[in-house]
Amino acid sequence: MRYGYGGSILRVDLTSGRIHREKTDPEYMVTVIGGRGFNSRRLSAELERSIDPLSPENLLLVGLGPLTGTLLTGSAFFTISGKSPLTGILGDSAAGGHFGPELKQAGYDQIIITGRSKGPGYLLIADDRVEIRDASNLWGKDIWETTSAIRSDLGDNAVQVLAIGPAGENLVKFATVACNNSRMCGRTGMGCLFGSKHLKAIAVRGTSPVKVADPATYGKLCKAIDQKIVAHPEFEKRKALGTTMLMTALNSLGILPTDHFQKGLCHYLDRVSGERLARDFKVKNKSCFNCNVHCSRYYVTSEAEGEGPEYETLCTYTSRLGNDDLEFALRINTFLNRMGMDSVSSGETLGWAMECLQRGLLTTEDLDGVDLRWGNQKAIEKMLHMIVYRQGIGDAFAEGTRSLAARFGRGTEAYAFHVKGLDLICGDPRGIKAYGLTYAIASRGGDHLRAEPFFELTERYDEAEKRFGTKEAANRLAEDGKAALVDYSERLALATDCLTMCKNIGLCMDILDFETSSRLLRAGTGLAFTPERVDEALENHIRADRLLNIEFGLDGSQDSLPRRFVDEPLEEGPTKDCVVNIKKMVKEYYHVKGWDETGNPR
Amino acid sequence: MIRLDVSKCSGCRRCEVACAFFHEERVSRGMSRIKVVKIEDKGIDVAVVCQQCQERYCMKCPESAIAVGEMGQILVDLERCTGCGACEKQCPIGAIEMFDDTPFVCDLCGGDPQCVRECTLGAITFEPRVMEIVSLKDMRKKTRGLTPEAKRVHFALITSHDTRERWLDRRADPCATGMVDRF
Repeated sequence: MRYGYGGSILRVDLTSGRIHREKTDPEYMVTVIGGRGFNSRRLSAELERSIDPLSPENLLLVGLGPLTGTLLTGSAFFTISGKSPLTGILGDSAAGGHFGPELKQAGYDQIIITGRSKGPGYLLIADDRVEIRDASNLWGKDIWETTSAIRSDLGDNAVQVLAIGPAGENLVKFATVACNNSRMCGRTGMGCLFGSKHLKAIAVRGTSPVKVADPATYGKLCKAIDQKIVAHPEFEKRKALGTTMLMTALNSLGILPTDHFQKGLCHYLDRVSGERLARDFKVKNKSCFNCNVHCSRYYVTSEAEGEGPEYETLCTYTSRLGNDDLEFALRINTFLNRMGMDSVSSGETLGWAMECLQRGLLTTEDLDGVDLRWGNQKAIEKMLHMIVYRQGIGDAFAEGTRSLAARFGRGTEAYAFHVKGLDLICGDPRGIKAYGLTYAIASRGGDHLRAEPFFELTERYDEAEKRFGTKEAANRLAEDGKAALVDYSERLALATDCLTMCKNIGLCMDILDFETSSRLLRAGTGLAFTPERVDEALENHIRADRLLNIEFGLDGSQDSLPRRFVDEPLEEGPTKDCVVNIKKMVKEYYHVKGWDETGNPR
Repeated sequence: MIRLDVSKCSGCRRCEVACAFFHEERVSRGMSRIKVVKIEDKGIDVAVVCQQCQERYCMKCPESAIAVGEMGQILVDLERCTGCGACEKQCPIGAIEMFDDTPFVCDLCGGDPQCVRECTLGAITFEPRVMEIVSLKDMRKKTRGLTPEAKRVHFALITSHDTRERWLDRRADPCATGMVDRF
């Protein structure tokens, strides 16, 4: 009897068409838990390090955790992993929606896809029946069309579909994969990986009930978590605005990226805030599987409709690019969701170009005449279209900001805001130092989700002293104590990715801790997940991810931030005059981890 | 009966999870007596559950295994049930469906429906004394012979029609086209 886990691992080789199923080994799972960690260890064990990420030899992994699709609120998540086409290092991206729980009901813990299909194909998984099907008629279709075409072909609207759009087909390096039309695996170009394998989609229908080992205890633990969520002071706000509440929150701290991080205050915030979106365009809440927060939203405007946007997309396509028109941002959100392209990375290529134009480092001739001035809507739309279809200079943009800036040179590299090739998210690290450290050390490159050290924003000074040895850990502008905070948050973020659970709930609402995690795992799986073993598994993952990246060619010199955040203080607002002393924090982080001065754990 | 407010449903399927876990200690769409239909392109989510219809089509059971309880709920006598699936075929909205040769249909959890408890949006509400106010006659003509899932989709499209119209009325310019057509 298998509890929590789906019980099987599916191997599909698209070159030979060979499909093979193996049993999930519970002994092994206690050492890796599941989800992202499980995927990463698969890469460690089976991936030839030196391969081109777009070659058939690259692994494309879809991983679930033991608690995915269970009674646990926020357990909707799944992770896609592989060697990233965008960064060349560990790549992975998670999403919620309804795909993961369906795959669990089909009885799987992981799908391992290798090879390359001759023509376009899609993978159909209906419990034990697995087929590679022709997708010639789907190639060229956007994500929404693909999802609905597969459902209608199969005559079953309850099929869950994970699909790429034209951006993935055209090997845009930051292409996404989506389920439920708009739940995006957004980062590190996993959609490009699908495209390189000529894999248009994975469709799944599962009918095996998901059982837990101790339903009474598990039910009680889940109920306690639900009560904590509903009682959380931000519950109503998160329900109303979701992550878009961060527009106002970050602006009030003076760290809302505006004109490509030249400013941290946006003077037209009221026109592009989450509050405005909820008031004027939201028609109802949307939600991932089994959630009681319902933080997503459905919007209808005169030009577009769809789900979202999340904060990153909203900020990118408003203040970060100097656009004050909310309806335009919503139209772009719909477009990116249909085409399957990451809003953060696409937005950074545009932001880079806009700032370089402003500074005279580029001319519109360099950009095929596209006049990427701040907030120029026509130019933004035009260039996005050129990126999706790799037309003209869009072909260079589709390679990602790092490569784009390297191609032009002339000092433009200084304005390419990425770490290890992954473009920075919309949180100016000068006013949130633990986030800065997270961007610098994160194993997939520059973003926050590897740790989400929200604690530094809580001003819970006594708790900070207790947990991290200094009150300063709860002071967003301080650097002291941030290494300890990031170390802690990194493990907890990894725990959410392994269980799996939503980070917005698990971390940002401070719901999950290590003790609760191990109790959930024990009641869910019946396996010996003691707090010590869970902690050991998480620590091993972080170390092994580090080693994997070293084998991909990284070293500590890239644990850093773009120069702006280190050298140029913000000129106004509550984060005025601040920069990040990243070297100091990174050194402390290595020390906390017990790694050498080059960041090598060996 | 359990009433639906389509305009509030986020499609989280928490009702499904609560239903199956309460009855079977498992998470399973097949074992859930309420099933959420998602019409993704239209942003529509509808929880489909027995509407305690006036016609009571499911009672045309060859084994007389189906009865109506005090609160209007459907009670299946599993001793008599042979798993023939006639009830599933009869129901016009896919609210009763076979899983492992057993019919699954809402029993109101004995008067305290778990799905209603777990819905934090008020999209499903319980009215214990209201029953048989819904007629599914028209629906039956339209969905005859379809699979339960296809019947639910039909039901979802019809019940969400007005909500969807209200959303679209908010559009300033009804002639505007989607983004993709602009290029």
